[in-house]
Amino acid sequence: MTASSQERPQCEISFTVNGMSHTVRAYPMERLLDVLRHDLELTGTKEGCGEGECGSCSVLLDGALVNSCLIPVLQASGSEIVTIEGLASNGRLQVLQQSFLDCGGAQCGICTPGMILASVHLLNKKPQPTLEEIREGLSGNLCRCTGYMQIIEAVADAARTGAAK
Amino acid sequence: MKHTPIVGTSVPRMEGRGKVTGHARYIDDMTLPGMLHGATVRSSIPRGKIKKITFGPGIPWDEFVIVTSEDIPGKNCIALIEDDQPCLADGIVNHPEEPLLLLAHPDRHLLSKTVEAVSVEYEPLPAIFTIEESEAQRQTIWGADNIFKTYLIEKGDLDAAWQNAAHIVEAEYTTGAQEQLYIENNGMIAVYDSEQGITVWGSLQCPYYVHKSLMKLFALPANRVRVVQMETGGAFGGKEEYPSMIAAHAALLAMKSGKPVKIIYDRLEDMTATTKRHPSRTRIRTAIGEDGKLLAGEIDFTIDGGAYKTLSPVVLSRGAIHAGGPYYWPNVRIRAKAVATNAPPHGAFRGFGAPQSLFALERHMDRIAQVAGISREEIRRLNFLRPGQTTTTSQIINEPINLGKLLDRALDLSDYHAKKENFTRHNREGFRKKGIGIASFLHGAGFTGSGERSLGSIAGVEACEDGGLRILVSSAEFGQGTNTVLCQIAAEALGLRYEDVSIAQPDTHDVPNSGPTVASRTVMVVGKLVQSAALGIKNTLIASGVLSDSYSPDEFRTACRAYVAKHGKFRSFAQYEQPEGVFWDDDKYRGEAYAAFAWAVYIAEVTVDLTTYSVTVDDFLALQEVGKVLHPVLAQGQIIGGVAQAIGFALYEKVIWDHGRMQNGQMTNYIMPTSADLPPIRVYFEELGNVHGAFGAKGIGELPMDGPAPAILNAVEDALNISFRSIPLLPEDIFAALSERATPETVPTSPRGDA
Amino acid sequence: MRAHPVEYELVSPHSLPGVLSLLASEPGAWLPIAGGTDVMVQYSAGILPARKLVSIWNLPELCRIETSADEIRIGAGCTYTDLREHEAINTEFPLLSSAASWTGGIANQNRGTLGGNIVNASPAADSLPALLVYDAELLLVSARGERRVPYSGFHIGYRKTQLAPDELIRAVCLKTRFSGYYAHTRKVGARNAQAISKVCLAALGRIAEGTVEDIRLAMGSVAPIPLRLTATERILRGKRIDSQLVQLAKMTAAAEIQPIDDIRSSARYRAAVAGNLVAEFLEQLRTNQERTERATRVLSIWNDLPPDKAAEEILPCCGSKAWARQMAARRPIFEEASLLSVCDEVWKNLPQSDWLEAFRSHPRIGDSHAPSSAQAKSAAWSGEEQRKAASADEDIKAALAAGNRAYEQKFNHIFIVCATGKSAPEILAILERRLRNDKTTELREAAEQQRQIARLRLKKWLLS
Repeated sequence: MTASSQERPQCEISFTVNGMSHTVRAYPMERLLDVLRHDLELTGTKEGCGEGECGSCSVLLDGALVNSCLIPVLQASGSEIVTIEGLASNGRLQVLQQSFLDCGGAQCGICTPGMILASVHLLNKKPQPTLEEIREGLSGNLCRCTGYMQIIEAVADAARTGAAK
Repeated sequence: MKHTPIVGTSVPRMEGRGKVTGHARYIDDMTLPGMLHGATVRSSIPRGKIKKITFGPGIPWDEFVIVTSEDIPGKNCIALIEDDQPCLADGIVNHPEEPLLLLAHPDRHLLSKTVEAVSVEYEPLPAIFTIEESEAQRQTIWGADNIFKTYLIEKGDLDAAWQNAAHIVEAEYTTGAQEQLYIENNGMIAVYDSEQGITVWGSLQCPYYVHKSLMKLFALPANRVRVVQMETGGAFGGKEEYPSMIAAHAALLAMKSGKPVKIIYDRLEDMTATTKRHPSRTRIRTAIGEDGKLLAGEIDFTIDGGAYKTLSPVVLSRGAIHAGGPYYWPNVRIRAKAVATNAPPHGAFRGFGAPQSLFALERHMDRIAQVAGISREEIRRLNFLRPGQTTTTSQIINEPINLGKLLDRALDLSDYHAKKENFTRHNREGFRKKGIGIASFLHGAGFTGSGERSLGSIAGVEACEDGGLRILVSSAEFGQGTNTVLCQIAAEALGLRYEDVSIAQPDTHDVPNSGPTVASRTVMVVGKLVQSAALGIKNTLIASGVLSDSYSPDEFRTACRAYVAKHGKFRSFAQYEQPEGVFWDDDKYRGEAYAAFAWAVYIAEVTVDLTTYSVTVDDFLALQEVGKVLHPVLAQGQIIGGVAQAIGFALYEKVIWDHGRMQNGQMTNYIMPTSADLPPIRVYFEELGNVHGAFGAKGIGELPMDGPAPAILNAVEDALNISFRSIPLLPEDIFAALSERATPETVPTSPRGDA
Repeated sequence: MRAHPVEYELVSPHSLPGVLSLLASEPGAWLPIAGGTDVMVQYSAGILPARKLVSIWNLPELCRIETSADEIRIGAGCTYTDLREHEAINTEFPLLSSAASWTGGIANQNRGTLGGNIVNASPAADSLPALLVYDAELLLVSARGERRVPYSGFHIGYRKTQLAPDELIRAVCLKTRFSGYYAHTRKVGARNAQAISKVCLAALGRIAEGTVEDIRLAMGSVAPIPLRLTATERILRGKRIDSQLVQLAKMTAAAEIQPIDDIRSSARYRAAVAGNLVAEFLEQLRTNQERTERATRVLSIWNDLPPDKAAEEILPCCGSKAWARQMAARRPIFEEASLLSVCDEVWKNLPQSDWLEAFRSHPRIGDSHAPSSAQAKSAAWSGEEQRKAASADEDIKAALAAGNRAYEQKFNHIFIVCATGKSAPEILAILERRLRNDKTTELREAAEQQRQIARLRLKKWLLS
């Protein structure tokens, strides 16, 4: 049913996403982004550019922020992945998500999942980041709507609130 | 019963929760059973005749759905102002990336290879790519003279004024194309049913624009075309008219295949094939009095519309009307024209002509200041419009705006004078030159002149079973806060809680046509209609006796529930009516161009690094009068986001053209600012109210796009004493200018003692 | 996405020998893919020529960073993040850490590898100029064995290297002999983050007895391969840096490189900026040398003072007597870097009461007078540091005063902020934010600010 004469086989790849184990049948060079969105129907992770520039496809892979549009799914085998859907638990937003809402960090929302994951990653490494560190930590995520300021405020706000706990 | 104000407070974004949890549904998140994926075969030349199309070897063509112009049931056009733009090229192509035919297949991975397997033989025709080439008319590529539209705005008596001029200041300014670069690419899903007709879901700003164009393309009546807006990931005008094209394509494939079809562009296709901001050239000639006052002006404003008319006349109109800025021109002639070139049609982008003409004007004001020997702030103050005076279209300013005071406040907030002095001292040595620049401007909200009357927008409010209200408008949310603010307005109008109001997804089967989501009109015009429609619900309930004149939100809900239970859901509508005494002459282009103007003074502080020739914006002040701020966080977000886009317009975003085709159609090479590139953008508002807008609001979505570019280039001139008159201004341009004027090499001494 | 995954094979042998034997079995047929930040971009664009790929991501043999007596061996599979987070690399090879910090954004730094950057061989690659000036050597490995080659000859043409079809880079070896050099690097791109460089410079220099003893300059994006500016280095060695030499160096550099016009920039711009970057480096080298000499003099005098005099001399930098005493006790200290690091250590380990004493030596932000207990030097420095904040409008001054009062009420000490370069509105914003802190958090923040102030003052002291 395909147009190609050189067909490669699919393989079974297992990993954990948001705490749940999954095994998918996929071509090894399918992008992790596409497997998350199509095979697992986790459409929260977005495609904005397909070249690792915009960060909309950011997920956490074994705790590291990565652009899922640049990862062949085979290389995600055995890893623990966190997507935006894995942050809120039982309907309760995480502090960071609430801060994004309070500070206007999400306008059209398309960059927001990646932006929030980049912020999670930053706060995991630096719970009390300076404004400069926030700017740098988010510099791989492009936002066309906000001009970044309210996003940076949201992260700073979450850092304060988190610290107060 | 004390009512907590809702309008004026930063209530939670209506659809915000979905956005921060990843559950908001954008078009590419949606699939339908049996869905095919669609792709577009496009022209690789800028102009020519199609001689032959060959479907190459190695592809199982029988598995593919193929659509050509022959499959179009109605008229082969994307109906807009004129019907000149084909949906699919029919024998002739007029721009690179012009759609030729469509393919669909269940396996989306097959499509790009298959598109490449279609080869097209052309007989190329000579093509034109610049305004000047178009004006020369050696090739006529559109109509009789390559001219889509002209406008002439005249006021006063020019000839006399030139005689009395103490100075005549003349210059030319240009702006380049700019890509909207919404982070979500264009996409549509279409379904065709022989009974129901067409349904499309997509990323879009104007459901009824798509609706209208599909009706014509398919020769279907209104009730057999349905358009539904999905969550839209940014638009900025880039999804005003273009979605009609992609919807048409998806719908044609759906019709031919009998299956749902999804078309999603990737970034390269979106950048190279869809609309961009119109490039412009403005020539300004001004007569100045000894005291620095504007005596007369001739403004020649020309925009490049690309290959088809699309919205160019409207962009031209707004650019022409804004060309005079916030100043009093006793005598002026503005000649505006939109011309054709063999590039993909240019289109709507936030500001819509005004950023182009205001860039020229605000640069020109600095030039006038120089020639007249008057400071840049004083030259503006002297010439500001005052209440009672008339604009270039002879519209009387009848609100108590005091632009001089606004200017003073901006100068104060930016510490302008102290900085200017410091910078002069600072610039004597070292490799980093600092400068500060001003731009003062205005932006008219709503459709021009008789535009709102022609639209005749309708907004509805529905009383729901649960006693709440549901707003029915075709106004699209794409980040600017439409959903939130319209709900605030309805809640406030009836003294309810924000939670008592919801808003329907824009679905042409369900909502009336409240007009396109453009022109900064939604809060102001549609908001006011929502207010009226909401009051209609209240009046009905009170008239029926279930609700008393004074009530609590819970009492309202109880009454509403009871009424709906008895009579069924009901809807109240309000339609736009032009206010009394609004006068607009479409032929002479004179009168009340806009129901309301927002006013602004922006000040930019820059550093030019002479090692790299790059400009950094260090601080940015955005002060504007906006009628009323309905939602502080959203309003601030609009201004900051618009300033950020305009900084991109000024310093970063260059479209590199090669024979009408964009060469840098990827995010790696089309440069928009990251979080590491933008300064803190400080936003301040003033509120004079607005009788024509909901709760006194004026439109603000586009305003912030107009001021930053000239303010920044004014600052660069302050830093370097070089006048740049073209944007985007790249380091390479600064280097070229410096090396042209450089004579003996001065080696600046390095700075010392800076901790 | 313009590639069909069905046409591509990707295997993951999970061991280096497994990978090497695959490469040996069909040399040139398998494309190694590590983090994929280059390969996957080409793949998605539909322009990747290879159809068979072998994953070398996360191979333990390639991901280690090993330090020995005189060398650091960086596994080719180490990511930019690994480089940035490695203390020895930051200390010994700051040009490489800097390059890692501006390659893409954080997400790309977590996946992009040093080996990938080398093998992809773009002349614009960020880490390559640093490797050139550090005289890197590469450990290449194949099923046939290992070989060690100087990095300097590795690039043989545009995107062509000496790597054999069955080889991988195993590690990059850097000798730790550059800590005595002044290191400088700068990347010029279209924006401050996520930019492909238009020009970049990595530079090391050492001055002895007033002349250039050694100098190393390498540039990216100015030739088909990353380029060591040997001609420019030659005219600089042994000379005294003055403005004439700087001009000559600029011209030599501009003539030595071969920049082109491309989608990102122009040859003329690149040439001019390249010359400017070289000039900038030379100026900094000279200034740094002067600073080093002054610091050495100041420190040598200080080292010779009796302990109580030494403590007294340095007290204005911090305000804590205990700090001053302990600093004096850590002598002799010979250079700025050690002085600052001792300062940090001592400060960190002081009890709270000493921190509070340091805080007390400052005037309130916005006040013109220091408390009378402060020494004259400290007061003068406070004035300088707060200079930018002092020219504030009345509203802000009032808000600062009110904020200071609220702060003191809540925290029982004055508000400490490293004010240098900060405007009054910025300080006010910081004050308002910190007012919301709890006591523990705030004490930490204030102490951190005091540490920064002490460092700044120590630097100034070294120039006195």
